[in-house]
Amino acid sequence: MAIQILRDLRGLRVQVVHPPDSERTKLVEHLRRIGCMVEMQWPVPDCWADGADIVLLAIEHDMRLEIQRLLKSDAGHRPTLIAVVSYEDPSTLQLVLEAGAVAVIERPIRPFGLLTNITIARSLWMERREADKRMRKLERKLAGIQRIQRAKTILMSGQGLSEADAYESIRRQAMSKRLSMDDMASAIIHANELLQYRAKGD
Amino acid sequence: MVATEDHSDSWRVGVLFSQSGVTSTIERTQLNATLLAIDEINAGGGVLGRPVEPVIYDPASDPKKFRAFAERLFQVDRIRLLFGCYMSSTRKAVLPVVEGHRGLLFYPTLYEGFEYSRNCIYTGAAPNQNSIQLARFLLSTYGNRFLLVGSNYVYPYESNRLMADFVVQSKGKVLDEIYVPLQATENDFDKVIARIKKTSPEVIFSTVVGTGTAAFYGAYRAAGFDPARMPIASLSTSEAEVAEMGAEVAEGHITAAPFFETLSSPAARRFVSSFKERYGDKAPVTAGAEAAYFQLHLAMRAIAKCGSDDPEQVLDNLRDFEFDAPQGRVRVDPENNHTYLWPRIARLDRQGRFQIVWNPGVRVKPDPYCVVQSLDDWSVDDQQLIRP
Repeated sequence: MAIQILRDLRGLRVQVVHPPDSERTKLVEHLRRIGCMVEMQWPVPDCWADGADIVLLAIEHDMRLEIQRLLKSDAGHRPTLIAVVSYEDPSTLQLVLEAGAVAVIERPIRPFGLLTNITIARSLWMERREADKRMRKLERKLAGIQRIQRAKTILMSGQGLSEADAYESIRRQAMSKRLSMDDMASAIIHANELLQYRAKGD
Repeated sequence: MVATEDHSDSWRVGVLFSQSGVTSTIERTQLNATLLAIDEINAGGGVLGRPVEPVIYDPASDPKKFRAFAERLFQVDRIRLLFGCYMSSTRKAVLPVVEGHRGLLFYPTLYEGFEYSRNCIYTGAAPNQNSIQLARFLLSTYGNRFLLVGSNYVYPYESNRLMADFVVQSKGKVLDEIYVPLQATENDFDKVIARIKKTSPEVIFSTVVGTGTAAFYGAYRAAGFDPARMPIASLSTSEAEVAEMGAEVAEGHITAAPFFETLSSPAARRFVSSFKERYGDKAPVTAGAEAAYFQLHLAMRAIAKCGSDDPEQVLDNLRDFEFDAPQGRVRVDPENNHTYLWPRIARLDRQGRFQIVWNPGVRVKPDPYCVVQSLDDWSVDDQQLIRP
């Protein structure tokens, strides 16, 4: 439900990485009005803050190196990133793209549009995270299928089984040893490698 | 209407309320209340010895005219403070003009929330100051099968979304959600009446505004429904709409608002009697009028404090004080420019007068960005059920 995102905005921890000036004041005031929990940070930190759900990052050219250092830090804990910009020249845009920002807020800060931007950013971010998760799961599954394929080939050539019998053999062994098909296939591949090694060593 | 003589010795303010068009009945009460407050101030010697001079236009319930007159007020009439607007569509039309001229709009009407402009002071109720209270009352008194009816524009959609949310939270059901044109007549409500007959809800929540209101309540009455078991509940049906529909049609229906003409506090009685003295015994005194009245006093008190009608200075000074409004003591929240108000719920009696049925006597802080309010501390089987 789309409205769920709006609901969840309240109580989200938002870190505002922005120089202390009147723009930051306007930004923080409106975020609090919306109902977010806001922390302020400046200068640009070395790594992502623990527990921040959303980071609003001011793209300042004199902070380029610091921003890039932050972007290279632990990718596993990356929050939803929203860039805050004053220019839209190519070098600013490049930094925004490198940062992987999912929304951009322009300065001077205006209250109208901030809620929309945060909502869209959060929605895109969740979708992306969901897609990443699914992709990793599929990759694991694909690798598993490849291993079973290899184990079948080993059995077929070593024991002269048909493909269906080789599959059945792996399945039975997996069941009796209470292993997954994937683990059983890995064991067969591993054993085969050991045998091959000995054969070569003789 | 435009004053041509030199008025450098007066505080000139802009006033935009529709005197014609679909929402003119309610907006006239807001205009009247604004002028009453100006009269009171001028009778007391003005502000810092200078009288308040309103520049008034009739934007005729039309957002485009609202915008054009706002332009004119700032550019030609050189006002800096503007008092007015009822429908959200007209406020949205006026605000960019106010912001562009660094002016300040005082908006005396309940609305759907989700807005903040540094250049606007909101003195009507936000949803957390009327919707949740009304929802709780309806759910505990009548049941949780709702039918939603509204005029076709932004305020009804958002209000209905919020009400639907409460109904779902209490495991109730929204049987239908129907929108009629802003200029609705009795015929437009045929479909609504047919749906009411077919679905037999326990509550009809109406966000119909303007002249359509009387038409809707009239159609409901003509269909012979019973308001004691299936009332129409609203946030916008005020004394003005009731005057249009008549007491017999209005009886038994419910409205939530921070002010009703029937409030018995001395401040409310004073305001209502001055209003009636000036505009006649039959003149309806609405929550919108009360907000229009106290917001003008608020603004002028701020001018008196800082000695200028410069919007920045007025803003800074507005936030500092409490004001005894007819509804109770109010205050502008410095964080969001909305106003602390007193939620109340009333039912219309046989004489078409609002009788208070729920009045907790607490002032509620405005929270215009409240996406969802939880009914958690309340349940359907609450033992405090009161049947009407």
